[in-house]
Amino acid sequence: MTAAATPELTLMEGAAAIGEAAILAGCRFFAGYPMSPFTPLLEHLAEALPAAGGTCINCESEIEGVNMALGAASTGARAATGSCGQGIALMQEAIAEAALNETPMVVFNLARNQQDYFQATRGGGWGDYRTITLAPKDVPEAIEHTQLLFHLSDLHRAPTMLYGDPLLAQTRVGVRLEKLDFGPLPPKDWELDGTRGGTGQSRQVWTWAMGKATDPGPGPDLHWQNIAAKFAAINEIEQRSESAHCEDADTVVVAFGSAALFVEHVVAELRAEGHRVGWFRPITLWPFPGPALEEATRSARRVLVYELNGGQMIDDVRQYAHDRSAIRFIGGVSIHESGLSYGPLLDAPVIRERILAALPEGDPR
Amino acid sequence: MQNMASTPTDGRPDEFAVRLAGIGGQGIQLIGKTLALAATRAGRHAMLAADYGGEMRGGPSNASVVVGPPVAEAPRLRSLPVLPAFHAAIVANHRFTGVVPERLVPGAVLLLNSSVVDPAGAGEGYQVTAVPATRLAAELGVPQAGGFVLLGAFIALVPLVSEESLVEAMTSLLPAYRRQHAEGNARALRAGIETVAGVAA
Repeated sequence: MTAAATPELTLMEGAAAIGEAAILAGCRFFAGYPMSPFTPLLEHLAEALPAAGGTCINCESEIEGVNMALGAASTGARAATGSCGQGIALMQEAIAEAALNETPMVVFNLARNQQDYFQATRGGGWGDYRTITLAPKDVPEAIEHTQLLFHLSDLHRAPTMLYGDPLLAQTRVGVRLEKLDFGPLPPKDWELDGTRGGTGQSRQVWTWAMGKATDPGPGPDLHWQNIAAKFAAINEIEQRSESAHCEDADTVVVAFGSAALFVEHVVAELRAEGHRVGWFRPITLWPFPGPALEEATRSARRVLVYELNGGQMIDDVRQYAHDRSAIRFIGGVSIHESGLSYGPLLDAPVIRERILAALPEGDPR
Repeated sequence: MQNMASTPTDGRPDEFAVRLAGIGGQGIQLIGKTLALAATRAGRHAMLAADYGGEMRGGPSNASVVVGPPVAEAPRLRSLPVLPAFHAAIVANHRFTGVVPERLVPGAVLLLNSSVVDPAGAGEGYQVTAVPATRLAAELGVPQAGGFVLLGAFIALVPLVSEESLVEAMTSLLPAYRRQHAEGNARALRAGIETVAGVAA
């Protein structure tokens, strides 16, 4: 498999398709430590990246991996790392550093379930930062999102994250690998050149953006005000969402990632049976598409939140749903006995049952 | 509940879902990949969702394969990666049939490896075909290829892809150190087709 764009469909495991999309986006450095279900992405890039002229390092820990990616990215290269949520937990400090010293970098969370929503959207580092996070619902969308994340990362000089899961990583589907163009980017006039001095851009990035004696930089007060303002601006302009059947819906079901694909399927069935049900999917988990959710839930008497965790995205839904008292949680923790994937709750018949149980007697009317 | 809206072409749903159920070591994952790859190379949408545990042999090994419409006719598959319904099942072993009975649609094609699965327990309402795949493979001198006997029998029952495309896909999927098994797998596939077709070998 090469990184060349292919016009025909190629049967690929999702993790490999994401790896190919990263290469199409120009990623030439990847460092990570194996952990299921992320491992197939690392395995794929270990072969495919060197073949594309890049470098892939299977390093000693997640902390090492994310810091290697940060170092590579500081030279202007498109660089990435990844793990599942358990490993991403170890990377939090470096992700925050990258956000504060304005180094673009993509982090792939091929997670075991949906329990990393808070980790992805709030983050565990220090400072006024957020991480642009896209949650694709299937493999074709993951190919698009992967390329978009490298673009957004460069555009905003900030780390970005793909939040996937075992279904995304392991399902094989016929995919079309095409390089996507998201428009022009500013020059990387900040990149380090690795020299031992004289250029002013030799070997150091710092969260204070502190310069040299001849170019002192803005200092911590102004720099961190600028960072906070940048993330406030991103919050306004990078929200993405998708919805259907919400205009006249009594009931709107909110879900993200793979789970949203199942909800979409079940809602289509219920609509065909006459239930006034719609669905809403945040595509960016941060920035959360709050105004779009407010609009989508305007006519709803019930807002059902389906996520495979103890209730995390529901916090964001509570901030924006048109009527907070209409919100009901219909998701839950559901883990496969291996610990590595979802349990029986992620299943169309179960979701259907839970939505129907939330509808009033006699629906449809 | 039906998984997908049916727009039948030659009597089959346009996204045909088959469940492969067996135990590790029977080749379930390889025959699933073979079917999905052959369909993809024939210009159709396809999906393979694997479901297996940590054990290399003896534990449950299942796969769901969807063979969809030609790529030119549909932008993408609608099937979910956890399928609520199957139009067919290939049951290689009785120990871990999992969701097979409860998710088969009425009238589904149910292909049983009668060397180890008792057809009497198949239940009502299916088109049951019993093939002694393990025994036939052993008689051919390729005891590891029982899965391909079943795959051959399956495409004789439901001609989703051609025999040639399966042989080509299987051969390309084998790692170099197992390439010597390609010929035996192809013979097993043929034996499965002939068993169902009732043609003398």
